[in-house]
Amino acid sequence: MVKYILKRLGMAVVTIWLVATLTFFLMNMVPGGPFLSEKAVSPKALAALEEKYGLDKPLFEQYLTYIKGAIHGDFGDSLKQRGRTVMSIISSKFPVSARIGGLSVLLAFSLGVPLGCISALNRGKIGDNIIIVIATCGIAVPSFVICTLLMYTFGVKLGWLPTLGLKTWKHYIMPVAALAFYPTAYITRLMRSSMLDVLGQDYMRTARAKGLNQFVSLFKHALRNAILPIVTYLGPLIAYTVTGSFIVEKIFTIPGLGGEFISSITNRDYTIIMGTTIFLATLVILMNVVVDIVYKLVDPRINLK
Amino acid sequence: MSKKISTAYSDPAPVYVPVDADFRLKDNAGEIAIDTNFASQNFWKDVLVRFFRKGGAVFGLIMIVVITLFAIIGPGMNEYTYSGQELSQKNLAPRVPGLENLGIFDGSETMRTTTGSMKVNNYEDKGLTDTYYWFGSDNFGRDIWTRTWSGARVSLIIAVAAALIDMIIGMSYGLISGYFGGKTDMVMQRILEIANGVPRLVIVTLLLLVLKPGMLTIIFALMLTEWVGMSRIARAEMLKLKEQEFVLASRTLGAGSFFIIFREVLPNIIGPIITQVMFSIPTAIFTEAFLSFVGLGIPVPQCSLGSLISEGFNSFTTHPFQIIPPIIVMALLMLSFNLVADGLREALDPKMKEM
Repeated sequence: MVKYILKRLGMAVVTIWLVATLTFFLMNMVPGGPFLSEKAVSPKALAALEEKYGLDKPLFEQYLTYIKGAIHGDFGDSLKQRGRTVMSIISSKFPVSARIGGLSVLLAFSLGVPLGCISALNRGKIGDNIIIVIATCGIAVPSFVICTLLMYTFGVKLGWLPTLGLKTWKHYIMPVAALAFYPTAYITRLMRSSMLDVLGQDYMRTARAKGLNQFVSLFKHALRNAILPIVTYLGPLIAYTVTGSFIVEKIFTIPGLGGEFISSITNRDYTIIMGTTIFLATLVILMNVVVDIVYKLVDPRINLK
Repeated sequence: MSKKISTAYSDPAPVYVPVDADFRLKDNAGEIAIDTNFASQNFWKDVLVRFFRKGGAVFGLIMIVVITLFAIIGPGMNEYTYSGQELSQKNLAPRVPGLENLGIFDGSETMRTTTGSMKVNNYEDKGLTDTYYWFGSDNFGRDIWTRTWSGARVSLIIAVAAALIDMIIGMSYGLISGYFGGKTDMVMQRILEIANGVPRLVIVTLLLLVLKPGMLTIIFALMLTEWVGMSRIARAEMLKLKEQEFVLASRTLGAGSFFIIFREVLPNIIGPIITQVMFSIPTAIFTEAFLSFVGLGIPVPQCSLGSLISEGFNSFTTHPFQIIPPIIVMALLMLSFNLVADGLREALDPKMKEM
């Protein structure tokens, strides 16, 4: 077990390093320097700026400094938001994204698992068909569409919910719903197929044969086994909520990390792009490792190799 | 022979003469399931039969064909071009000849303010009696009908090209990794794990920051995203097949590794691969739309569904008709590809558990 965890962690570190390196060199390949703007900048000022940010040094030296800083959580200063470090921006924006993401993951779980069970237990009946159709739409329809539809119906036409910002609990409803839409649909389908799989197993027949009532056999025997694949989906789900939040946060103008990433791209704020990329990648990679380890702990049938 | 037995074991009873009624089916309230026994069918014929039995898949296929057709002929169906601007005719609501007499699509729209709403018809106000914008016109007076379909064309080209290139890369990677096994497999799988750990949308976005935006660069960036899933499937299939007799036979006959991989095994796993391609097309459409939304997509005046949505979004509280066509086309397109992929997966492998 320890060996497995160490191996996974080692792999994660390599991946994170690779992402950081890739990001650094990609950002250095972007045509036009970071200080290029509409206003003419005098060569002297440019030189001073470059010296301040260490851009006059050879590329490899810059890279070493950057990586060394990144290990200590220092991604440099923002180029466009004067006087703020990248880390301070990330640490002020991340909690907002985490709250929205966490709520939508919670929503997706608490809706998707029961819906999937209901669908599996009523296989082939009308309820099952309705759930499957909705879930298919949920997987296929892109988040732009969901966001726009929600915003138009509840925000503009009916005027029930506020559309912009994040002040009261009412502001949370639409973004969380929009972000939870896809994972809910996915979990429903995953839960349905894994429940159907479990219901056909021999131990379920044994449980019924020995006279367990439906309720106990369902909750103690079926659900516990059927929910395992959902645990593996946690990793991709977190990656999804991270990237999915780009669009949702941008559309609902939520001051989170996803929205920050997009506006830093539009503003060409390179240090923030680099910082957020590495931060998000690290988050996703580490979460995947944790999920993998949890999965092996939960299911003793998986051999540790 | 049978005569002999019957005389030996049974009494010489009167021979039973069957009557007509013996050959009629006993009525059991229509519960008889009549077995349809086919002669062993061609595999692909079988797949087609199973595929067309699924309503959703057929619907998806029809929608894809219809949208593709419109993407081809749609932009040429009226006199406007996708980039032609007519600033005096901006933000006109949809108006369709014929339908306008029924009171819908007559070019009027409801304007809303805090004090109330009123219906205005910009065509009448501007004296444009003979002008028809079927889907309306946008902020710059461009025809939304033409732009929607040429956008659909661009999105489809990008998605299909990216998915096909993904298929070639991912498939070769997976097949080679699975076939050679051992150290090769180990190294290739470690590389794959690392590539899989990188959040793709982020890296694609970074790549497009560096490259000059355009159709080819978007295809290139998308190419790097989906091949991981494809190579996993190809590898799994290869591991299933490579111990089988036909591979051994081919090797005994002196076939080289690459001949076995691409000429012997590949034709046998083409089903799951096609399914995966169908699944990766909607992903590519979505990623392209995301890039346009961030402002890294197709450069203006060209358009894709994504760029149309992000343009329409800016004015969607005042002129919602501008965002509706691209959004419907995109949603239908993604839904249809998913439905077809689902149908194909079940048709190709009926034993597989439902998902």
